[in-house]
Amino acid sequence: MKLSEKRIITLVAAFALAFGVYPVANAMHIMEGYLPVQYCIVWGIVCLPFLVRGYFSIKKAVSQNRKSITLFAMVGAYIFIISSLKIPSVTGSCSHMTGTGLGAILFGPTAVSILGLIVLIFQAILLAHGGLTTLGANTFSMAIAGPLVSYGIYILCKKVKVNKRVGIFLAASIGDLFTYCVTSFQLAAAYPSDNGGITASFLKFLGVFAPTQIPLAIIEGILTVVIMIMLESYATSELIDIGYMKGEINNVKVK
Amino acid sequence: MREIILFVLGFLAVAVLLMAVVGQYHSQDGKHHHKIGHKHGEGVVIDMHAYASKIRGWNPTFKVSLAMVLLILCIALNNPCVSVAVLIAMAYLTMVKGGLSVNEYLSVLMIPITFILLGTLAIAIEFSFDPIGQFNLHCGFFYIYTSQEKLKEMIFLILKVFAAVSALQMMTLSTPSSEIISVMRKAHVPKLIIELMNIIYRYIFILLDVYSKMKNSADSRQGYCDFKTSCYTFGGIAGNMLIISLKKANAYYDAMEARCYDGEMIFLEEEKKIEINQIIMAVIFVAVLFLLWGLTK
Repeated sequence: MKLSEKRIITLVAAFALAFGVYPVANAMHIMEGYLPVQYCIVWGIVCLPFLVRGYFSIKKAVSQNRKSITLFAMVGAYIFIISSLKIPSVTGSCSHMTGTGLGAILFGPTAVSILGLIVLIFQAILLAHGGLTTLGANTFSMAIAGPLVSYGIYILCKKVKVNKRVGIFLAASIGDLFTYCVTSFQLAAAYPSDNGGITASFLKFLGVFAPTQIPLAIIEGILTVVIMIMLESYATSELIDIGYMKGEINNVKVK
Repeated sequence: MREIILFVLGFLAVAVLLMAVVGQYHSQDGKHHHKIGHKHGEGVVIDMHAYASKIRGWNPTFKVSLAMVLLILCIALNNPCVSVAVLIAMAYLTMVKGGLSVNEYLSVLMIPITFILLGTLAIAIEFSFDPIGQFNLHCGFFYIYTSQEKLKEMIFLILKVFAAVSALQMMTLSTPSSEIISVMRKAHVPKLIIELMNIIYRYIFILLDVYSKMKNSADSRQGYCDFKTSCYTFGGIAGNMLIISLKKANAYYDAMEARCYDGEMIFLEEEKKIEINQIIMAVIFVAVLFLLWGLTK
């Protein structure tokens, strides 16, 4: 092969890697059957403490006020719909929001953990996104780690008094990016590289999913800001009801 | 030995596909066909298939447990022959027994294709600064390389994922979600979660309806004319949906309370008997899987 030919191949390969994968950008659900058994179990166990905490907080809220069950259910359905909507994109591809950043900012990370688990089950059985054996891993990355980081950044930005919109943008997009990093780590841990172990494999997964996930995170950040502006200008009373102004859904007041 | 088994399995696969195509040809000739590929709004579609499936009458506990056992066997045995066997059996159950059309089945199976391709690509290729491995490609200052061993692993993984997805789809394409939830209740999943799942499942359809109406009206007012406008429209719709869903949540609670809701919803379930020969067939199939695994280990 001549040098110029090699260059052409390299260029084409780079181009294909950067743009060829763009058209169908899904949220990062690990598919059914992708993880070996031990990893399915380990990630499930890692999720348990968070889920138990979320379960008790929801249970407490429901026993204090029976009416909040429909509210929780609506919130769950809302997260599901948000995460299955086709979002606007520049290239005409089909991509989805994860919706976890928005959920965490609005309802707090505790409630989102359990609702996220239910949403993931429905995504697996209604949309064929994700799966039941990989439920533990997906729950950890999308319903626990991502929302926690989003919520943390949101609170931090509030404390440091960064512009609110910038704070929301950072919370949503970094939460999304963190979800993608955690998923890449989960994949890398299950399939370490021969040459360089988990770290090399982690970098490979990050690189392969980067072209779809980074633009997605930015779009998700922008959309979350648009949604929050809209809600704050038209729905202040509803936001107070769900406890957004105080930070946790436990303080639900039902009229 | 492995070659013979794979050959027999390949033959079976072709047979199942032919049976499905012939069955479809007889049942619905002249109807329009959908393209295979990633489509949206599958939520409703998969549920619709579940209600329309001919094996909907089978006992849901049997279907769910069969799917679970096969899923676990797929990933635990980690054997290409087992994967192919599961793939064929599930295709047979869903298309020939269940009466789903070949196009529909393939388009459901194709949903995770991007993830599978990207995910297995990352496993198959390696980076290095030296030209090693069986196949390598020079990219500036580093090499991308792979080997036959890695490619084989990649293909086996793709087969495994498709087998697992098809086992899950056998369940979801033949069992409506309400029945899956009732099976979970029998498996002693906490009552609060079951309750939430039951209500969320119903609300999803209500919100989808709200969404499609809002989207139509936004679309007819040029709400998606360019990227910036579509972002604003999307945000507006999402925000509005939250307001509407909170309002509805209140109204629905009142409606439920008016019908004597006391913290537990009990639904009338059709009684579906388990047939002995189905269980026998399932046991034989699982035994065959173990046999295949033993022969090709």
